Amino acid sequence: MKRRNLFAASLAAGALAAGRKSWASVPEAAQAMGRTAPPGTVPALTPARVHADQIMDIKVCLRPFRPAGPRLEIEPVADKIVVHNYGHGGSGWSLSWGSAAMAVERAAPLMEKHVAVIGCGIIGLTTAITAQRAGMNVTIYARDMLPHTRSVRANGSWTPDSRIALITAATPDFAATWERMARYSWQTYREYLGLPGNPVDFRDNYLLSDTPPDEADHTEPAPDISKGSYASTGVPQSEAEFAKYADRIKDIIPAAELLAGADNPFPVAYARRKPIMIYNFGAFGHALLSDFYQAGGRIEIREFHSPSEVADLPERVVFNCTGYAARDLWGDKSLIPVRGQTAWLPPQPAANYGVRYKGAAMLSKSDGLMVQGVNLSGLGELEGVGNSMEQPNRAEAEQAVAVFEDLFSRFRPRRG
Amino acid sequence: MAQHPIFAKQAQKARGFCTALLAATGLVATAHAALAAPRHAPAAPPAPAAPSFTAEQADHGAQIYAGTCAMCHGAALEGAHDMPPLRGLFVARWANTSLNKLYAYITHAMPLMAPGTLPPQDNIDVIAFLLRENGTEPGHTPLPADENRLAQMVFPAPNALPPVKAAQPGKAPRTR
Ligand SMILES: Cc1cc2nc3c(=O)[nH]c(=O)nc-3n(C[C@H](O)[C@H](O)[C@H](O)COP(=O)(O)OP(=O)(O)OC[C@H]3O[C@@H](n4cnc5c(N)ncnc54)[C@H](O)[C@@H]3O)c2cc1C
Repeated sequence: MKRRNLFAASLAAGALAAGRKSWASVPEAAQAMGRTAPPGTVPALTPARVHADQIMDIKVCLRPFRPAGPRLEIEPVADKIVVHNYGHGGSGWSLSWGSAAMAVERAAPLMEKHVAVIGCGIIGLTTAITAQRAGMNVTIYARDMLPHTRSVRANGSWTPDSRIALITAATPDFAATWERMARYSWQTYREYLGLPGNPVDFRDNYLLSDTPPDEADHTEPAPDISKGSYASTGVPQSEAEFAKYADRIKDIIPAAELLAGADNPFPVAYARRKPIMIYNFGAFGHALLSDFYQAGGRIEIREFHSPSEVADLPERVVFNCTGYAARDLWGDKSLIPVRGQTAWLPPQPAANYGVRYKGAAMLSKSDGLMVQGVNLSGLGELEGVGNSMEQPNRAEAEQAVAVFEDLFSRFRPRRG
Repeated sequence: MAQHPIFAKQAQKARGFCTALLAATGLVATAHAALAAPRHAPAAPPAPAAPSFTAEQADHGAQIYAGTCAMCHGAALEGAHDMPPLRGLFVARWANTSLNKLYAYITHAMPLMAPGTLPPQDNIDVIAFLLRENGTEPGHTPLPADENRLAQMVFPAPNALPPVKAAQPGKAPRTR
């Protein structure tokens, strides 16, 4: 309650918050809520054109959620050694390089020069390139190339602890493993910043709210005990069951800052700005494939129907990077589908930012303006859990689009 | 039967299962054959030997490591984006190299902020620790602080897969 008042006070100079508390306690509020952006650092924003009649594609994806966290284990199959690297939930893009480094580290003492990677999603590609960087010759075997994988049906930004594990199912050392993965990935992604086509880039993401954001951020709905838990039902039943690790790496992740008063260009009471790392699928996929081929990599399109088929491969070390498909291919029933959907509008490079408002996310990327319902139902991390319906839901897409259509209809662009 | 080291270290949960499978595939038995005939070896005669070291040496090396090396290479030898790990890739980089070279490198270049400041016996014990952490079992003979004798030993790759057998009918290895 106290913080709520402090935060309101920090915005009291803005017309929308007029009538609340005095402006006097801004430093206190900033301390509680994060730094206040220096006046004048918010550029004149071009409003985004977000309308249902602009939707050009709707993509649906199943996050490969494993309550224990991603599987990074070695398993002998026939005369091969399989190194598993799958089950990255809603964090596969973010954690890919670090997870790849760990998988390659497990394989390195086997001293094999020629290795196989099954899968050409973000995990397979980064594993293949990481293996090449460690001196291995790599052949990728996959049913689909990247553009047809679930990976490119994601949002594609830095979300390293989104549905990555459950507190009760992950081993105690997973937090440290996660931290190592996240740090390694973050640093590797920086290698791709500033390249032609901006395969990896940053966007200012505006986090908007009509109510004090500290409440929205910190109040978790009380778990409904009658529903049970993962332990009793095999599926998480409350948001509180999901492990959150972001605080472990906050020393390297740019924080959010408050936009106070007249510096807040949006027609909402509360706005924060946070630079986020994003992945432009087209440019980044192209960069990865080019890297892989230039290092002598080979790709063979092939579908595996059972684990025993790895016996046919000439390589003796095989990285299994099949994502959600490992549930059937490898019989890993611990994988829980978490459905998610993104709608794509034509690219709008003039509106080059992201917005998060009323449970929906908008992100301007080089291959389109992405709109996603991230929490339209108010279920938070539970949204989509256990849902393996991979067909687009037009109504849901339009609901997310409507959030921004409404927001920008009220937006008054600053002149000059 | 001894457990294949990579599983002992990396798949503790699946321990029993892996051991059984490995025994079935004959991996354990052949791993040591791979050691005796290293595939990437620049080996000059006489044939290089697997190093021996004692558990006490490795324990002491662990203390030295924690105090002097872990700040860069990580508490679990895991390295980082800009820091070489001392397991995994480390084995691939040093396997079948004679130990006097590793000893010379550590002596001259490490610790990075004060190279050459560790006494010889500490460096030897750090090597014993690295050997143990990477899957070599300790024995009764200590690792000697003697460059000539170290030159007769190579850093083992105890997890290396056995050499490829002669082509089996219907399963010819692909040539590239
Ligand atoms: C809506 C949504 C938004 C998301 N947003 C983000 C985000 O912003 N940031 C983030 O970090 N993560 C995000 N994720 C999560 C991320 O997309 C996944 O974790 C990631 O894509 C998993 O990648 P993968 O390579 O393991 O699997 P996949 O992309 O599914 O790739 C699997 C590969 O294996 C191949 N394969 C599968 N079965 C077989 C077989 N039997 N034989 C041969 N080949 C086979 C496939 O063809 C494919 O090449 C999001 C997910 C969703 C659903």
